[in-house]
Amino acid sequence: MTVLIEPENGETGALDCVLPLTAAQSGMWFAQALDPLSPAQNTAEYLEIDGELDAEVFARALRRVTAEADALRVRIEDTPDGPRQRVCATVEPPLTVHHGLTREQALEWMRKDLTTPCDLAAGPLFRHALFRVGERRWLWYQRIHHLVIDGFGYSLLVRRTAEVYTALIRGEDPGPRAFETLADLLAVDAEYRASDAFAADREHWTRAFEDRPEAPRLAGRAALPSRTFRRHTTHLAAATTERLRELATLTRATWPDVLIAAQALYTSRATGRADVVLGLPMMGRIGSVALRVPGMVMNVLPLRLTVAPDATFAQLVRQVVLGIRRSRRHQRYRYEEIHRDLGLLGEGRGLVGPLVNIMPFDYGADFAGAPARAHNLSAGPVDDLTVNVYDRADGRGLRIDHDGNPALYEDADLAAHQVRFVDLLARLADADPNTRLAAHSIATAAELCLVRDEFNRTGRALPPTTLIGPIEARANRTPEAVALVHDGTSLTYAELNARANRLARHLQGLGARPGALVAVSVPRSVELIVALLAVLKAGAAYLPLDPDYPGQRLTYMLRDAAPVCAVTDREGRLPGDAGTPLVVLDGLDLAGDPGVNPGRALTPAHPAYVIYTSGSTGRPKGVVVPHSAIDNRLRWMQHTYPIGDGDRVLQKTPSSFDVSVWEFFWPLREGATLVVAEPGGHRDPVYLARLIRERAVTTCHFVPSMLQVFLAGPGASGCAGVLRRVFCSGEALPRETAGAFARTLPGTELHNLYGPTEAAVDVSHHACAPDDTGPVPIGRPVWNTRLYVLDPAGQLCPPGVTGELYLAGAQLADGYLQRGELTAQRFVADPFGPPGSRMYRTGDLARWTEHGEAEYLGRTDHQVKLRGQRIEPGEVEAALAALPGVDGACALVREDRLVGYVTGDGPSPEAIRAALARELPDHMVPSAVVPLPAFPLSPNGKLDRRELPEPVFAGGAHRRPAGPREEALTRLFADVLGAERAGPDDAFFDLGGTSLLAVRLVNRIREELGAELTIGSLFEAPSPAALAARIDDASPVASDALGVLLPLRAQGTRPPLFAIHPAGGLSWAYAGLAARLGPDQPVHGIQARGLAGSAPLPRTLWEQARDYADRIREVRPHGPYRLLGWSVGGILAHTVAVLLQEAGEWVDLLALLDAFPAEQWRERPAPEEGDALTAVLRMAGVERGAERTREDVLATLREAGSPLAGLGGGTLSRIVDIVPNHARMMREHTHRRFHGDVVFFTAAAPRPEHWLTAEAWRPHITGDLENHRLPCTHPELLREEHVDRIAEVLSPRLARREA
Amino acid sequence: MTLTLERIRGDVADCLGEDPADIPVDENLVDYGLDSVRIMTLLERWRRDHGATVSFVDLAEEPAVESWARILGVATP
Repeated sequence: MTVLIEPENGETGALDCVLPLTAAQSGMWFAQALDPLSPAQNTAEYLEIDGELDAEVFARALRRVTAEADALRVRIEDTPDGPRQRVCATVEPPLTVHHGLTREQALEWMRKDLTTPCDLAAGPLFRHALFRVGERRWLWYQRIHHLVIDGFGYSLLVRRTAEVYTALIRGEDPGPRAFETLADLLAVDAEYRASDAFAADREHWTRAFEDRPEAPRLAGRAALPSRTFRRHTTHLAAATTERLRELATLTRATWPDVLIAAQALYTSRATGRADVVLGLPMMGRIGSVALRVPGMVMNVLPLRLTVAPDATFAQLVRQVVLGIRRSRRHQRYRYEEIHRDLGLLGEGRGLVGPLVNIMPFDYGADFAGAPARAHNLSAGPVDDLTVNVYDRADGRGLRIDHDGNPALYEDADLAAHQVRFVDLLARLADADPNTRLAAHSIATAAELCLVRDEFNRTGRALPPTTLIGPIEARANRTPEAVALVHDGTSLTYAELNARANRLARHLQGLGARPGALVAVSVPRSVELIVALLAVLKAGAAYLPLDPDYPGQRLTYMLRDAAPVCAVTDREGRLPGDAGTPLVVLDGLDLAGDPGVNPGRALTPAHPAYVIYTSGSTGRPKGVVVPHSAIDNRLRWMQHTYPIGDGDRVLQKTPSSFDVSVWEFFWPLREGATLVVAEPGGHRDPVYLARLIRERAVTTCHFVPSMLQVFLAGPGASGCAGVLRRVFCSGEALPRETAGAFARTLPGTELHNLYGPTEAAVDVSHHACAPDDTGPVPIGRPVWNTRLYVLDPAGQLCPPGVTGELYLAGAQLADGYLQRGELTAQRFVADPFGPPGSRMYRTGDLARWTEHGEAEYLGRTDHQVKLRGQRIEPGEVEAALAALPGVDGACALVREDRLVGYVTGDGPSPEAIRAALARELPDHMVPSAVVPLPAFPLSPNGKLDRRELPEPVFAGGAHRRPAGPREEALTRLFADVLGAERAGPDDAFFDLGGTSLLAVRLVNRIREELGAELTIGSLFEAPSPAALAARIDDASPVASDALGVLLPLRAQGTRPPLFAIHPAGGLSWAYAGLAARLGPDQPVHGIQARGLAGSAPLPRTLWEQARDYADRIREVRPHGPYRLLGWSVGGILAHTVAVLLQEAGEWVDLLALLDAFPAEQWRERPAPEEGDALTAVLRMAGVERGAERTREDVLATLREAGSPLAGLGGGTLSRIVDIVPNHARMMREHTHRRFHGDVVFFTAAAPRPEHWLTAEAWRPHITGDLENHRLPCTHPELLREEHVDRIAEVLSPRLARREA
Repeated sequence: MTLTLERIRGDVADCLGEDPADIPVDENLVDYGLDSVRIMTLLERWRRDHGATVSFVDLAEEPAVESWARILGVATP
């Protein structure tokens, strides 16, 4: 390599001039400023020169062109007024000449150079290199920062350089300077920005995008710009290019218009969106002096297009032509400014999706007879995806580069998009432009073959059996095997079969037969299994009615489905107003019925069950599933996950949820045992873990959210080695949950299944591997089942492209009971299957992986799943809107909770929830109802769901918590619920609690209070007060809230903290602090003796402290000791600490909370009883008013809902004695010296006792006094925000192990 | 056939998909949908059919029918 021209700074001071940046340059400067070390703003290309080149002459030519192009010769300076460009009078162009490299090595060198960031302040902003890569073959490389060049600028530079070189070689005069100046560009820019056109253009763009459309992106998401980009290059065959030109003529357009239309079509179908926004780089020079300036001028304009499947390609091209024509009139307004005007900049949102960059510049350069062709290496930063199209007008067709942001596109993604785009172009070029767009798929023929046939090769010949037939056959084969266990009951196959047969015959007598329906409303029990089997044995289809559903809904389902009868366990289970004949199992004597299988004319085509799901129009709908469908499903399951007589399958899913279908019947077909959980037990992870261990359950199912909770619970890992396989379905399985599963239950299989009720439970399956990453697929189709991912035009999506999932094959339901129209909408003709076949439209979004597994990606509509339960917000909205006074309603899920919004003059939110609870199942009753004056609307008048306010989960007016436990529980409620506050009487589920949150709460209670509760107890005792009572009942230790020792948290491995009471004698106030110190830190309150009984009050603080020291040593015989006290409790803590030290013990923490030594008080009068009453009221947070007597005070406390009122008159009277006794003892106290440090917290708000100071402790301690000032009054010191701070200071000290 | 102002106007209209009568001779053609590709298309046509020798930049600088007639050396009536 030789260096022909040494890079210099070109400082010739006097002739430099400093200019502002143009708007276009500012855009580039800003992009660079976001990441100063990024080389992404480097643009580069090389010219391939076929012939000999004189490097010396070339260098001279370059020097001359550089001198002519002042727009290139700039450096950027930061000034207080923003960036400025210094145009250097002279800059020697950096040029290196390389001999002996191959073309590949040269390109390698260039790619490496391209990654060098450019220092805008140092300059120069460009560099050159020449490579001699062969006989008569040179490459000329130029890299230029985007701030000073654009694509058209390159063409100007190249042509002028060739011109000058040629002249120099021929000894001719290259002619005068060919370029206009940077100052000209600035003048044009300034003129425009001052013109009326500027304001009009802004108006145009703001109006055109006022609804701020979300630009569809092929990656499905946006990312920050990367420092580099990926590129795939291809060429469109010359013949195809020619046909595209003809197509352009046919449609009265140009070939770029056709390419843009094709990209719009591709983008629309690849993203499933009809509205696309493409970005079109514009040279922005026509009619401007900029045509002669090699600088940065180009702009990107957004082009909005609507791609309707019913429109023709010709119409789409016309839309492009007219759209560009409109844009072009406003093309001088900068992209960056549109982006900012719309407020998208602040939100980090992009304005456009893919860019289509058409470069029709003529590059026919000639270096003294040696022809040269340009090759772009980098066209600048790539935010998302840019399709660069170059027409080199050399008869070789079009070059197409797909440049992608590496944060969004892998190489394979880019390659796939490119192959498909070129394939689509070729098909469009051959097709009649008046064909409907819907006729075009974006998938290639090979991809179609994959997604239609290969991925769906699931055909399997099966015998025509029913759901029940194989169960009866099994009972014949293994009559003595255990069919089910529940609680203490166990039935053999023969026993179960006989019981079901007797009931079946009874049901037949009531009209149960093939094609008829029998409702079953029995809580989980042996009787439930018997009833379900009996209905099937009678030949009828069963209709499960969840006994927990509200009466109105049960009545609706009974009327809608019109079963011949309904089986219930007891009278009163079902509402009587539907008129359905009831079969009440309680007391039903069937001993007379024979126990042999009943006869029936049942075929696989008859319905097996009907399950109701939420309906978007407000009415639930019954899905009718035939025997053949569920039989196919169970045969596939047995083949794929074989179970047998050693297996125990857990039945815990409610019968109204279709997962229960395989739980009930699969084990009974295969000789395994069904383990039936308690009703409600499916919500309790501790119970489930125990049941799994004790009953040796090998197979069970979890909804993913419940699996997550189960794995986090204490018993899950104990199930390893017992459980063989776990199935997940009902909602998306997060990879984190699958990972937690692999860690908690190593060796247990985890299978992710997917399917709607409309296709016999599950239609696809995926086995999770412990080391997999990325989203968990829903997997491959089951036997005789086909999955189609279709775009909005009904065309098959290629792998990787998201579309709506359709299902076809053996497992489809018959349809919706009595709902012909709805059935016709959702079960449509299958264009890919045999004639007459149907497919079910799931409303789920999915895509194929290249390996033939499907991935779930959400919904096409607003349907949501909460803990596996399907909810149509429309149904909830209809119920809300039907309430008197409610004008408008909206329901949606926020943070795993259903929230309802209403407008109008309706009932209170509480009343609305209560009303809905009477109509809808629990999971469909909103956790919160938010009344709004009006709904937020988007500019086009639609409800803007994003703008709906967050609900506030909070109870109504509150009394204060009574006692430390209530206080701790109230806080835990608020924490877990994310509520601002919760009252002791607020019910968990009224505050937005869900069963998952309930599990979390129970775990927290276990951690923080050491109390073992079941989820069930939360249902029975849903408020903090009720729960506190329950815990108190269960733990006698805690029941004495007035004892000297009050264990605020008994568990934990660290040395306990002893917190000594303030003047009133109670230590409840420390509950909040205890909770904040973490589960491993035991905290014991020390309370005044005599609160509960009539024990004499101590005479001195020393006597009192000795008593406390003894009690403390009962808990912890030896140090280190940790002591804390508030107010007089601080003096006591100091005194206890001295006593312990004098006994030879180590005290490693003494924390005083706004407590001041005796001499600070001694000269002040002790309080009279009246002052004591004030003190008592203050303890309750009430300022004293007109209260004169103890009785007055008690009445006030009761009125204020103070916990102190709950203590009863006796205790309160004692407190009124205790307070002045403390005041007296404190004044008489003499301190001894504590050898160690004190951590002090001062309530720093101004107070009447201004003389109080922590410094007064100095004589009574030998160590340091560390004072923390908190902005509050003395009584406020233990309120939430200050306790946080105290805990923050103490935590590290408490965590310190004895050193 | 020699290049005339009407010929230029007709070619421009054709290229823009408009009626010649709708193309004013003195207005900025960008407002009528003129872009660089269309300029190149016209330039290639005029080079081929009429031996025009002007450059892209020459035409792009003053995008109006009258100006082009002058640049292309057509005598205006």
